[in-house]
Amino acid sequence: MQRFRRLVAALALAATATTTVAACGGGDSGDDSDAKVLKLWHYESETSAMGVGWNRAIEIFKSEHPGVEVRFERKAFEQIQQNAGMIINSSEGPDIMEYNKGNATAGLLSSQGLLSDLSAEADKRGWAGKLSPSLQTTARYSDKGVMGSGKWFGVPNYGEYVTVYYNKDLFERNGVKVPTTMADMTAAMDTFVSKGITPLGMAGAEYPAGQLFYQLALSKADRQFVDNYQLYKNPVDFKADPLKYGAATFADWVSKGYVAKDSASLKAEDMGTAFIGGKVPMIVSGSWWYGRFKTEMKANWDTFLFPGNTLQAGSSGNLWVVPENSKAKSLAYDFIDITLRPEIQDLIGNNGGVPVAADASKITDPKDRKLIEDFNTVSKQDGLAFYPDWPVPGYYDVLVGGFQGLINGSKSPDQVLDSIAKPYAEGVKEITGK
Amino acid sequence: MAVSETLAAAQPAATPPQPSPGRRRRGRNAAYWLYLLPGAVLFILVIGAPLVGTLYLSLTKWSGIGDPRWVGLDNYQQLLHDDVFWASFRNTVWMLVAMVVVPTLLGLLLAAVLFDVIGRRFKPRTAAALRAAFYLPQVLPVVVAGIVWGWILRPDGAFNSLLDAVGLGALRHDWLGDPDTALPAVMAVMIWVQIGYPVVVFMAALQRVDPELYEAAEVDGANWVHRFRAITLPQIRPETFVVALTCTIAALKVFGPIFALTRGGPENATNVPSYFAYYTFFKKLQVGYGSAISTVLTLIIVVVAVVFIWMQARSERRDRGI
Repeated sequence: MQRFRRLVAALALAATATTTVAACGGGDSGDDSDAKVLKLWHYESETSAMGVGWNRAIEIFKSEHPGVEVRFERKAFEQIQQNAGMIINSSEGPDIMEYNKGNATAGLLSSQGLLSDLSAEADKRGWAGKLSPSLQTTARYSDKGVMGSGKWFGVPNYGEYVTVYYNKDLFERNGVKVPTTMADMTAAMDTFVSKGITPLGMAGAEYPAGQLFYQLALSKADRQFVDNYQLYKNPVDFKADPLKYGAATFADWVSKGYVAKDSASLKAEDMGTAFIGGKVPMIVSGSWWYGRFKTEMKANWDTFLFPGNTLQAGSSGNLWVVPENSKAKSLAYDFIDITLRPEIQDLIGNNGGVPVAADASKITDPKDRKLIEDFNTVSKQDGLAFYPDWPVPGYYDVLVGGFQGLINGSKSPDQVLDSIAKPYAEGVKEITGK
Repeated sequence: MAVSETLAAAQPAATPPQPSPGRRRRGRNAAYWLYLLPGAVLFILVIGAPLVGTLYLSLTKWSGIGDPRWVGLDNYQQLLHDDVFWASFRNTVWMLVAMVVVPTLLGLLLAAVLFDVIGRRFKPRTAAALRAAFYLPQVLPVVVAGIVWGWILRPDGAFNSLLDAVGLGALRHDWLGDPDTALPAVMAVMIWVQIGYPVVVFMAALQRVDPELYEAAEVDGANWVHRFRAITLPQIRPETFVVALTCTIAALKVFGPIFALTRGGPENATNVPSYFAYYTFFKKLQVGYGSAISTVLTLIIVVVAVVFIWMQARSERRDRGI
């Protein structure tokens, strides 16, 4: 009998505890306007353009919300990348967080109901008007977590795109002009090859090879192809252009010596340091290198858009997301709004970043201004084509493996296209059920 | 107290009833269980529960968020037809060569030479210093070793520079970037990493061998090879089993060096089951499928361990003439 009483008491205690915990967490009353704490996480370094901009945004937020404490924590990219689901599903997560854009990340969390729908705020606060359609693609996700349509689950406030970095000194020394067409580009590369210089830095073990392939493919592509490939609007034929052209031209560039045959095992860092060290005259890579080259490179250098392309690999930067469990949603929306203000956007631009809604005339450094003007050009012509590894989870490694084969000559373009087509089809089927 | 009283107090007044042998054994067994309890609880928490969890997840489809969907044996059926999975196991066979066969054989030889030749002809300190040198890679964090070897083997790395310096520049190669050379290069690194472990274990084993055996053999005219075959090998057989078993398990679940050196590439040339499971878990977000790979790997490791332990027990029984 005594044992029975103890059991009843334990059950009652457990029930009380559960009720109390439920009252503390989960339940969203919808009214958090009196929240006094904003928990904010992001993974930008303090001196990066975004880090500088967001530090200033926090100061502005504090001055406009007296009595509200901002609890900021800087996290590691991998930490959030691998644990975001668990973090924001708990009551210990932040109220607002920087998170990776794309189907496998923000899309996945949104499809599980873990992110707040920001559509009403985007309309009310005019965020939609500040972001071009291709920038909005990564902000909106369907019920299945596929980007490009549906509700707003994130807000980007910086952008990124793939461009060509070139070493001005090497160009001048070898009598090479800055290319404006693909014919110019190949002529420039031929000149470097004839002088024993490998013109394009490459890193087969990481993203650069896939991005060069995609840039080449995009030269023969239109928006419909991007929608088909990235948003699954229609099936993609890997054995036809533009992908066929991309793979064949990549192989051709390797055979002509534009890309080193022994670069399959190199990492992006190797490529970047080779460019910084003046060992290669050009690299095709993202605007994320810009700040580093500006700080570390001694030779004169500049950028130009991949010649002839209207579509460029690129997208919005990562997103501000508001977890469904956030206890300070109104404050989180206010913070996002501040990061999109001209003051913060200009600050990002003046620190070597690519703001999404900046006035280029406010950027003081001519080189910074050019970077942003180029981005604005691409963005305004709806030219952001995202990245080749985005369509399905795990596709990054598939592309790396495929293009390593093309660099070291162990696979033909046809074989590479076969090897990347199958995982793509399987991944799309996994997501869409088709 | 008088001495007689003390003695009387020490003596029991009467012989107490002795517990029966059966009761005594039961009591002793109960005490054993008490000692086993902390270990058992830890085992359940750290190994048992995750194992059951992994087994359950391997029967589901799950992206890591939301509710897993029960799919029965679908993941295992898919595994049977997965070329990458089989390629990863083929590579594991080569990792067994690099991490078990070569280090054990080479380690045995090196230990015998260090103990029986270097240790005798030079000061024991020389043998100890060489043993420490062989063991050094085991002390280095494996990811650090992987990164350093990655630098050495890269196209403009130290190895290619060395080839240039000795007039073999024609052999320059992207060792980790070519599917034909990536696996042999990784194997070479693993031999370097692994070799110190058997050397240290075998040298310790040799120290417990009665020196008179060697002296008697020498008096009888046995040369080094004879002594190695007739004394060294049989005497350190138990340690050989231990080294072979632990190295085999290490080879089956090798992950760190692959992650640091090649990430399974190029073209899966160096992929191994544990890296494939990691990739499936965290990159493809297929937790159920990744769990199936992990479960199969665990099963193989358990079977291998049981077979090794059974062989060792049989060998010991034979030695004792049971």
